[in-house]
Amino acid sequence: MAAPRTARQKDVRRHLLIYAGLTPFVLIAVFPIYWMAITAFKQEPDLYRMDNIPFWFNLPPTLKNFNILFHQTNYGAWIVNTMNISAWVALITLLTAVPAGYALARLRLPGAENIGIAIFMTYLVPGIILFLPLSRVVATLGLQDSWWALVVTYPTFTVPFCTWLMMGFFKTVPMEMEEAARVDGCGQFGALIRVVLPVSLPGVLTSVIFAFTLSMQDVLYGLAFVSPGDQKPVPVGVPTELIRGDVYFWGSLMGAALLVGLPVAILYNFFLDRFIQGITGGVVK
Amino acid sequence: MTTASLRGGPEPTARAAVVSVPAPAAARVWWRTHSAQRKVFGYTLLAPAALYVLLLVGAPFLFSLWLAVSDANVGDPVARFIGLENFRAAWEMDTFWIAFQNSVVFLVVAAIFKSLLGTSLAFLLLQQFRGKKLIRGLVVIPFTLPIGISVLSWKWMYDSQFSVINWALSRVGLIGAYGSESWPIWLGQPHLALAACIAVNVWRTFPFSAIVLLAGFTAVPLEVIDAAKVDGCTFMQRFRHVVVPMIFPILMIGFLFDTVFTLSDLSVVYFLTQGGPGNASKILPVLAYQIGIQAGNLGRGAAIALFLVPLLVPALFLMLRNLKRREW
Repeated sequence: MAAPRTARQKDVRRHLLIYAGLTPFVLIAVFPIYWMAITAFKQEPDLYRMDNIPFWFNLPPTLKNFNILFHQTNYGAWIVNTMNISAWVALITLLTAVPAGYALARLRLPGAENIGIAIFMTYLVPGIILFLPLSRVVATLGLQDSWWALVVTYPTFTVPFCTWLMMGFFKTVPMEMEEAARVDGCGQFGALIRVVLPVSLPGVLTSVIFAFTLSMQDVLYGLAFVSPGDQKPVPVGVPTELIRGDVYFWGSLMGAALLVGLPVAILYNFFLDRFIQGITGGVVK
Repeated sequence: MTTASLRGGPEPTARAAVVSVPAPAAARVWWRTHSAQRKVFGYTLLAPAALYVLLLVGAPFLFSLWLAVSDANVGDPVARFIGLENFRAAWEMDTFWIAFQNSVVFLVVAAIFKSLLGTSLAFLLLQQFRGKKLIRGLVVIPFTLPIGISVLSWKWMYDSQFSVINWALSRVGLIGAYGSESWPIWLGQPHLALAACIAVNVWRTFPFSAIVLLAGFTAVPLEVIDAAKVDGCTFMQRFRHVVVPMIFPILMIGFLFDTVFTLSDLSVVYFLTQGGPGNASKILPVLAYQIGIQAGNLGRGAAIALFLVPLLVPALFLMLRNLKRREW
């Protein structure tokens, strides 16, 4: 016979215990990002004083680091490159993965299951095995030293992943919808464009997001295929170009990292469950 | 309708398609052409993705096998077949064996830590509490932040002089002041450099372990557990015979996925230490990159990268078996 008050107390105590358990995890997970943020807004001398507590501003915050970033480095160009690369990669991924996912999931093709698995398995062939032959491919296409090299190579992992993802999506669209569209006089292609695609729009959007976030996770291809300073995407340009010899511009470095990293992290956050569902192959409902 | 055309599609709807055909005799002919049409349409839709993957993953993979047995060089476009020379040379290189050993140590130590942290976090997140979504969102940030970016923050935290980690350790008295013997230089001391890199990998992937585990737990229907309870199973029996077998495939896939990506990732080590000091934190991907791209020896680099294959193949094979079992 628990009176309301004791039940409440119990609940509060349970919550406190859980929060206490979670606190170290949250601190470990978030601290590097916090450290990035505070460094980005600190004045240079404030970074190198060991006598003060470094977790907060000892001198007034400043925007100077961002100023340097946009006026004295290629940061602006890297952001534009990243946007361009992402847009092209997303386009290529959509044009290939959406039709393929549809064909494999809906059209009862002989061997569809094996083809689907084979395509997904190529997602797991690591870049470290492919980057040397791909560097030859990139050179043959005359794309070395420009961000177009990445437009060609990033789909090697976004296409397999998104095809697999779209297969999952199209499986959830009821078959009756297409049947109805066919009865109403749509062709196969018409049924796909007018009926199935609109319903699968969330799936298509998810594919676009992954084309973007997976591209942002790459370091190897960017390092290996693009060397001119103004052609790099952000995740490669920041760590390679903002360090001159042994001189680190920590304030600007952290600002550059934060400005692009945080939006990507937040966006990816919303789609993380989809990612997990994707790689566990739909075992998770 | 043949069984072949039924395979791969949801049965009931396929049957519905047959039912909707009015006259069975005429239907066969109609269906046959329709089926042929459908296949042409289907393979046409499939072709762009399949071609992309064949041309830019399949062909390069085969090409890397060729590179590995050739003397291909960045400067010299004409490559000659030199047999297993590259593999032999790698085999006799001290650096290769150091990198190989470091890769294995990296993989195993990181796996132990991330599974411990991931499991504890998963059990906490399994509870019902207020603000769960927010906290979950916060703890997965390391995994969602692009690695090329988060590793910079770590580089700054590992700074030889202004390391915030050292500042904190020094304040609580665990280490001495800057310049003293006990002031660790994380990225500059041989025995610390690899550990520092492993720590970043663990930081980045423990949320992934937790989320995969969580996905596994929530996939176990409560009714099944209740049924086991009714049948008189103890907690340990339920865990051992009901929960573990049910979440095993998911755990396996998460584990294999992580193995593939941890083994083949060069970004953490490359940006933090470049494999140094000396070769203390060198791992195979970094070595392959340095020899293949920086030194321009494509053949030797490809051979070193291919040494990862024996480590990766069991992972891929097990993954394949798990995927084959997935419900269609």
